[in-house]
Amino acid sequence: MTLKRSASASPRGVAWPQVEAVTIGDLLQRNAHWAATKARIDPEYFRRLSAQQAPDYLWVGCSDARVPANEVVSLDPGELFVHRNVANLAPSQDANFLSVLQFAVEVLKVKHVIVCGHYGCGGVRAALSGKRHGMIDHWLAPIRCLYEDEAGYFDRILDFEARVNAVCEANVLAQVRAVASNPFVQEAWVRGQGLSVHGWIYSIKDGLIRDLETSVANRKEATRLRTRGGAAHG
Amino acid sequence: MMIEDHIRAAAPRHPGGIERSPPALLKEPLEFLFAEHYRHRQMCKILEYLAVEPAFDASLIAATDDFIRYELALHVIDEEEDLFPLLRRRCEPDDDIEDVLGRLSADHALDQQLAQAVRSIFALALERRTPPSALPGGAEALLKLAKQEKGHMALENAVVMPLARRRLTVDDLEALSLRLAARRGVAAG
Repeated sequence: MTLKRSASASPRGVAWPQVEAVTIGDLLQRNAHWAATKARIDPEYFRRLSAQQAPDYLWVGCSDARVPANEVVSLDPGELFVHRNVANLAPSQDANFLSVLQFAVEVLKVKHVIVCGHYGCGGVRAALSGKRHGMIDHWLAPIRCLYEDEAGYFDRILDFEARVNAVCEANVLAQVRAVASNPFVQEAWVRGQGLSVHGWIYSIKDGLIRDLETSVANRKEATRLRTRGGAAHG
Repeated sequence: MMIEDHIRAAAPRHPGGIERSPPALLKEPLEFLFAEHYRHRQMCKILEYLAVEPAFDASLIAATDDFIRYELALHVIDEEEDLFPLLRRRCEPDDDIEDVLGRLSADHALDQQLAQAVRSIFALALERRTPPSALPGGAEALLKLAKQEKGHMALENAVVMPLARRRLTVDDLEALSLRLAARRGVAAG
């Protein structure tokens, strides 16, 4: 069971959400309502969508439910190819990620790969917590290494949440480097395919994306990004 | 000044309300943030006033509570998730910014705790229609937040704002302006 919100008036007259239970049956009803609304506005919408998938963008983001990829960049279904995992990693040994990346680059021929992290990431926080969480610790090991490699820098940030945010940014940079040095991306550049890799970070607190200025569009820029300072000094 | 000294000192005059920042200032993001600091100092004056004022002033309490709830919270996001990360990227090692930003981030975390304590006092004051100064721990909670905020503002104005003026680029300021506005529900024109 999840929660749904309905508007009501606060004591000061401001509309304020209240939380009620949403059943699994409600989701199916909501789906029917959503599809009907789409079809009413644009009767050809689903027929057009089913005919082809031609997104220009691959989104590598976090699984966090508060970062809905299409919604935060205001794109419709079909316009964004999405891969999400805990802490938006791009591991070169992950068959799932590699399959998505190859399909996006070689078949869909996306023009942009966007690695988008978010401040306050629970995966990054867990990696920095020093506690054992089970299986997820293995997945988050690259983030722990990233932090340990530059602990001297990160530990100067006294506030834990601010430190987590700095590592969130550094993690995005590390994943942009990983995507840019991936053979599928490198080969695309050798073929002359137009493809850029970008690093962004999103804030759940304000819904805004910040460009971390890590964009690369060819092998030379990728090499420059790889050799530019440490993770902390993107 | 110690809390007891403040309470013993002559009661401060009614500080008036907190002025609104002109929306046009959003186009000058550093000026906007500087103006926000001025509004925070106005908030501190109100807190100091309410800490000793024996009369119940519901509208001043409610307005200050709203300021803490919305404006103060937004300002922390402006800095923690916008200005500070930008400065970390732009400042030179010689600027030695990290220790200051680290301290300010710790301040922000403490601000939020102290602000929550003040909001609890305000809620109780409004419920009982009693001045915050008459509630147990009321004056202390208000003065603690005021003192903390004033120290915080002084450090930001003395160190962070001059560095921001020196290091941020025209593009940085444009992007910052866009986000400050969006955060306040103002779409780019």
